[in-house]
Amino acid sequence: MDTELILMQLFSGVALGAILVLTALGLSIIFGMLGVVNFAHGALFMVGAYAGLWVASLTGSFWWGLLVAPVMIGLFGMLIEYLLVRPLYGRSIDDPLLLTFGLSYVLVEGVRIVFGSDGIPFPTPSSLTGVVDLGVGFFPIYRIFVVGVVVIVVLLLWLGLEKTRFGLIVRAGARDPTMMRVLGVDISKVWLLVFGLGVGLASLGGVLSGPMRSVNPEMGALVLAEAFVVTVIGGLGSLLGSIIAGLVVGIVISMTALFAPEMATIVMFALMALVLLIRPQGLFGKLA
Amino acid sequence: MTSPAFAAPMPSSVRKPARLKSLVTTYRVPLSIIALCLLPWLLPSKALAVNVLVYGVVAVGYNLLFGYTGLLSFGHAAFVGAGAYITGIAIGQFGVPWYAAVLLGVFGGGLLAFAIGALSTRTRGIYFSMVTLALAQLVYYVALQASSWTGGENGLRGFTVNKINLLGYDVNFLDPVNKYYVLMTFAALALWIVSRILNSPFGAAIEAIRENERRASTCGYNVERTKLLSFTLSGTICALGGTMSALHLAFVPLDSLHYHASGMIVMMTLLGGASSFFGPFVGALVFLVMEDVFSLWTSHWQIIVGSIFVLFVLFLPKGIWGTFLARVMR
Amino acid sequence: MSAPLLAVDDIGVRFGGFVALQGVTTAFHPGRVTSIIGPNGAGKSTLFNVLSGVLTPSSGTIRFKGQDLKGTRHHEFVHRGIARSYQITNIFPDLSVHENVRVAAQASRSRYNIWTNRKRFSELDVRADAALESVGLVAKRDEIAKFLAHGQQRALEIAIALISDPEVLLLDEPTAGMGPEETKEMVALLERLAAARTILLVEHKMKMILGLSDRILVLHHGRLIADGSPRDIQTDPEVRRVYLGQNDGYA
Repeated sequence: MDTELILMQLFSGVALGAILVLTALGLSIIFGMLGVVNFAHGALFMVGAYAGLWVASLTGSFWWGLLVAPVMIGLFGMLIEYLLVRPLYGRSIDDPLLLTFGLSYVLVEGVRIVFGSDGIPFPTPSSLTGVVDLGVGFFPIYRIFVVGVVVIVVLLLWLGLEKTRFGLIVRAGARDPTMMRVLGVDISKVWLLVFGLGVGLASLGGVLSGPMRSVNPEMGALVLAEAFVVTVIGGLGSLLGSIIAGLVVGIVISMTALFAPEMATIVMFALMALVLLIRPQGLFGKLA
Repeated sequence: MTSPAFAAPMPSSVRKPARLKSLVTTYRVPLSIIALCLLPWLLPSKALAVNVLVYGVVAVGYNLLFGYTGLLSFGHAAFVGAGAYITGIAIGQFGVPWYAAVLLGVFGGGLLAFAIGALSTRTRGIYFSMVTLALAQLVYYVALQASSWTGGENGLRGFTVNKINLLGYDVNFLDPVNKYYVLMTFAALALWIVSRILNSPFGAAIEAIRENERRASTCGYNVERTKLLSFTLSGTICALGGTMSALHLAFVPLDSLHYHASGMIVMMTLLGGASSFFGPFVGALVFLVMEDVFSLWTSHWQIIVGSIFVLFVLFLPKGIWGTFLARVMR
Repeated sequence: MSAPLLAVDDIGVRFGGFVALQGVTTAFHPGRVTSIIGPNGAGKSTLFNVLSGVLTPSSGTIRFKGQDLKGTRHHEFVHRGIARSYQITNIFPDLSVHENVRVAAQASRSRYNIWTNRKRFSELDVRADAALESVGLVAKRDEIAKFLAHGQQRALEIAIALISDPEVLLLDEPTAGMGPEETKEMVALLERLAAARTILLVEHKMKMILGLSDRILVLHHGRLIADGSPRDIQTDPEVRRVYLGQNDGYA
């Protein structure tokens, strides 16, 4: 097998991994702050893709879709936190999980009613179509763009968490919410924003992946399973873990697809099983 | 014991429902068999009644893990599906007699539950739900890829059981009433087994783990091993439900392995009430009747069911039966 | 002096960079009440967690009746003969008082019996009721544990720990959060228990400790700084410095 093909496949793995990083980060941020695993994460990824498609077709520009949809769905996420998840704080940790699972049914069926059950093609913006020769091979411009966007988003997120007052509160609040309240920080407002941020990241992933996969109401199911695999491998609540595990899983899926395409999806679960055997808390997770 | 306080009379208002409750608990298996005998004559169709049997067994088996051990699995469709697929493959591709195929299905599903349980019970808390979901999805994708065995996306067909031989008599299995009562025997057996498990010392141990894992461990329980046993037993009962469904439909859809199918089991259990023996069965009944009714109105019935489930989590976390018990037995 | 029942040698516990215990070496002899005191964060609970197998020490050995407990898992400790209670009440909240103790009694046998009706094990019921009797909770037998008063819940936890008939009983602040009346009852209970077994006690109530203990260990910043009779400890200059030099609010 020639190196060029391997390199190209490696790069598709990175692009796929970049999307996984976004969804897993969203999941992990929400969990780290609120202690809630959002089972509607995959469905919101899917809703994000549809929202991006809708805004793009309204405005005639992919760029509006990319910018507006994550904000829109992020705000919708805040509404979900405020109306549905908030009443469950203080109850069993299973309750928000069950609720968001039920919500995913409603979201998937809602999208079917509005957009129909069949997949819709999500055209790649004309300025990002085609391939570019990087000396070692031809790479699709759109995938390079996706990786670039994810790198910027992750950097912004890191800066936001490390360098701003909001980030300080988020990090401290994740450790000790009661203390934050004692210090006079309105922790519920932080929860609202973090939930919105996590959902926004998922829907950004949805819009970005639109031109790479077909957009259909069921796409969220695989995304949710993938996000779980990545966060379990990386360690739930660990942002660095999500990033590294996301890239590793993306690359492993892509490389397997090259040699044994029928094993591509299966291998990521096998990877997770392996990590569970060796390190049940995940690569970057702390022991409970 | 000779303590006078032990014999102190309780207020009579407390006593009567409590006695009723303990009577119901003692005779829960005969009572459920009576209910099951009447069921097909109370529901609009026999096929629906068989479905209630199948998912009643699945939900009761699932609740051994969820309600009694306190572990929220999102992967039990894998065991239901494994039971169904193994039974179907054994009959259709190997010509195994139906009863042996049922045994193989139950055993195979139980073995799969042991394997997935061994991995997932190593994790704690919220991880457990995520890991069971992911491992069950692995089973889904394996079934999708192994299409020469499983029929892949089209599901598994070609193993219709027309008639079965019971004690020397040929019973026409295509007749819905016969089919119902044959499968009901399996359901009754499953309920009896679960009831015995719940009454056993092990039944007390899993409740202790649900209540307080650390304390149970300090008391001398090997928490991981107890959870694994509970997981395996629960998966085995669900596999029995799966084999029943295979015999009933003569078809195994690939979607029966999807985590949405696992979620459906969770929904049924919660709708009925996870804190009681009958709750999950009631939940399966209500869920399937809802599906039957709403799917006549609209193909988007899942939006109604999903919304109802969300409302239940918010306002009726004890479920229908659990809330009913709390009201009546107070 | 008889051979020690439980002995630790050069125990160290680290959490990342934080040293919780360092070089703790001591032994506990049968039939005595030993109290472990020290300011908050001194490592008392950590030592208890090591002695009951909740934590595996980073270094050092624990021996029980001469046997190294290395590799023994937490749930096996009670089968060896070491039982404990926790600083924060640790019971089965939604089970009845009787069932709380019965399920603990059952752990020593028939743990994986999934078939026999548990009512057939009637000797467990008898033992459970006897344990409840010994802590004065028989009257509350059929109540749901979470509805008990705080002091009664603490007593229930001790009954749970007692049911295995342990040789060593570790009690982590059994009177935490109790008023004077409840404390008095608990002290009486501890005195009765001390007659038959080895008790290790973590406590903050000095007056109670001085009255109950045969021996007192003082931990400070994870190190053992004093070990002796209540009288020795009261006059120990190092202990006085730790307790009086930095006002922790204990006296």
